[in-house]
Amino acid sequence: MNDSSWSIFVVLCVLISFIVVGLRQKSRDSVEYGFGGRYTGRIGGGAAIASNWMSAASLMGLAGLIYLQGYQALAYVIGWTGGYVLLLVLLASQIRRFGKFTAPDFVGERYGSSAARLIAAVISIAISVIYCVAQFKGIGMIFSFMFGIDYTRGVMFGGVAVISYLVLSGMLGVPRNQQLLYFVISFSFIVPLMWIAHQMGYFWILPQFGYGEAMADLSRQFNMDFAAPFASDTLFNWCALCFTLMVGTAGLPHVLSRFYTVPNIRDARWSVVWGLFFIALIYWSAPAYAVFGRLLEAQQGNLLEPGAARSMADIMILKTAVTAGMPGWLVGVLAAGALSAAFFTVAGLLMTGAASISYDIYYSILYPRASETARMQVAKGGTLVLAALVLLLALNPPGLIAEITAVAFALAGNTIFPLFLLGIWWGRANRQGAIAGMLTGILCTFADPLFSGVLPQVGAWFPITSSALCGAPLVILVMIAVSLMFPAPPEEMRRFLEQEVHGHLD
Amino acid sequence: MSHQNQRYQVNLFRPKKGHMRDEVLIIVALLFGWAICTFGFQILLAVSQGSGAGDILTRLTLFGLPLHFFFTGQFLPLWFIFLCIIFNLYIDRISQYHSRRRDRSYE
Repeated sequence: MNDSSWSIFVVLCVLISFIVVGLRQKSRDSVEYGFGGRYTGRIGGGAAIASNWMSAASLMGLAGLIYLQGYQALAYVIGWTGGYVLLLVLLASQIRRFGKFTAPDFVGERYGSSAARLIAAVISIAISVIYCVAQFKGIGMIFSFMFGIDYTRGVMFGGVAVISYLVLSGMLGVPRNQQLLYFVISFSFIVPLMWIAHQMGYFWILPQFGYGEAMADLSRQFNMDFAAPFASDTLFNWCALCFTLMVGTAGLPHVLSRFYTVPNIRDARWSVVWGLFFIALIYWSAPAYAVFGRLLEAQQGNLLEPGAARSMADIMILKTAVTAGMPGWLVGVLAAGALSAAFFTVAGLLMTGAASISYDIYYSILYPRASETARMQVAKGGTLVLAALVLLLALNPPGLIAEITAVAFALAGNTIFPLFLLGIWWGRANRQGAIAGMLTGILCTFADPLFSGVLPQVGAWFPITSSALCGAPLVILVMIAVSLMFPAPPEEMRRFLEQEVHGHLD
Repeated sequence: MSHQNQRYQVNLFRPKKGHMRDEVLIIVALLFGWAICTFGFQILLAVSQGSGAGDILTRLTLFGLPLHFFFTGQFLPLWFIFLCIIFNLYIDRISQYHSRRRDRSYE
């Protein structure tokens, strides 16, 4: 077997092992399974949060952007970790006490309006779709890299593989083993990095801290200052991007619903800490890939020009591995980690998106008397429709993986975050305010493509990947102003907020 | 009944208010630490660029990394974890404290 068939073999083994392990666990203790897996303590809960969070954006897109932009792209690292502080401090325990774990459910219940629920459902489906497009781009690039085919066919094959995997594990009823997934993802990301560091002669035991020397070499020998602050972009754009990703994290629908699986609030809070630690392990490693990749290129004397670098940035972790002379099976391990992260993120998002179509739109609004079977059918059909839509959009991706993901974060941060924030912390917020806020949020998110042709200033204040720095505060102001123009929400809801959400003690 | 109901409300209201006030205090404190280190540091970095202070930030190295790169790329995620631990410890303590107070007055 040659190198690339070894990597395909490893990838297949990993994906099959998830099904096998899942099936074995299912037969052993199927009774203990609740929503999305067994409770395994605070550390296990943290690993579940982290594996739920890891996607192609974290494993492929992040390293690629740092490779392209250096210090400027650290905004992604900070945004995607700092968001958990906001989430934990402002929302986690209160949302858990509120008892609604999807954004449309929360909005429908808190603001008592089916119109608000419908808008929230459409927004969360849109977030899922945008997020999935980025994952599909990652899957397509890995497929085209491994099989040596062009990107379009890579996306097609990848899409077919994801959908068959989804259908297969759905038919077998395989529970997702989130702890195993986290272990596979982090192992397959960090071990190849150690190999590269060792091969290049740098401190390899903790490559997360060992790449400093490589960065110094890069600037000494090749005069490339990777760390120069704000060299490629402005301070405003750094902060806007970072803030957008933070509020987006705290508003992302599939992140919030993680608090379901842990039985009490105290453990839920502590599992966020572990989750953040596990996420940070990956994010400390991503810059190392970027630096090693640049250094290898420079050493071999084929530094890419910006256009070519941008087109390969998303796959640069694999390219770097190959350039460093990594054996095929280890490249396969690296690809398998990124691929399984993308696979399970897509699976989770498509299923929650379809559940939202079936429950929040079809059942709650269109046909309240629909039977269980009809709802299931709508959900299954919805999964396929969403998958097809994502596949179509991914054929012609509008940007880099991390950039596409950032748009999903901007949408979440402009709409869902303010809704949760005011819904929890301000009893006076009512449904008129919520609807006005969501519509403003959608406008803010897409202000750049919509209006910057007419008003160039809009594009500067609301850049497409980072519109929430100006957007989220604006939405909050709109929500407050509109809420005050209309009567307060029913007393029952205000009492519930005060007594249950803020009054109940753990 | 109505008297009891009222008493129930008022009495449960008090420890609740205490708990919530403590909670809001720690939230504000932590968000301050969060914002200063994240955005405050970047603003400092941008403002001091080219001056002596900026040179210190970018020339000094830690683990081979320039100080500002180390601070943003490696220290800040650690700082966020630290903030979350502080929050959890504090909330654990105040919810214990306030639920004990409630227990003493009612049960």
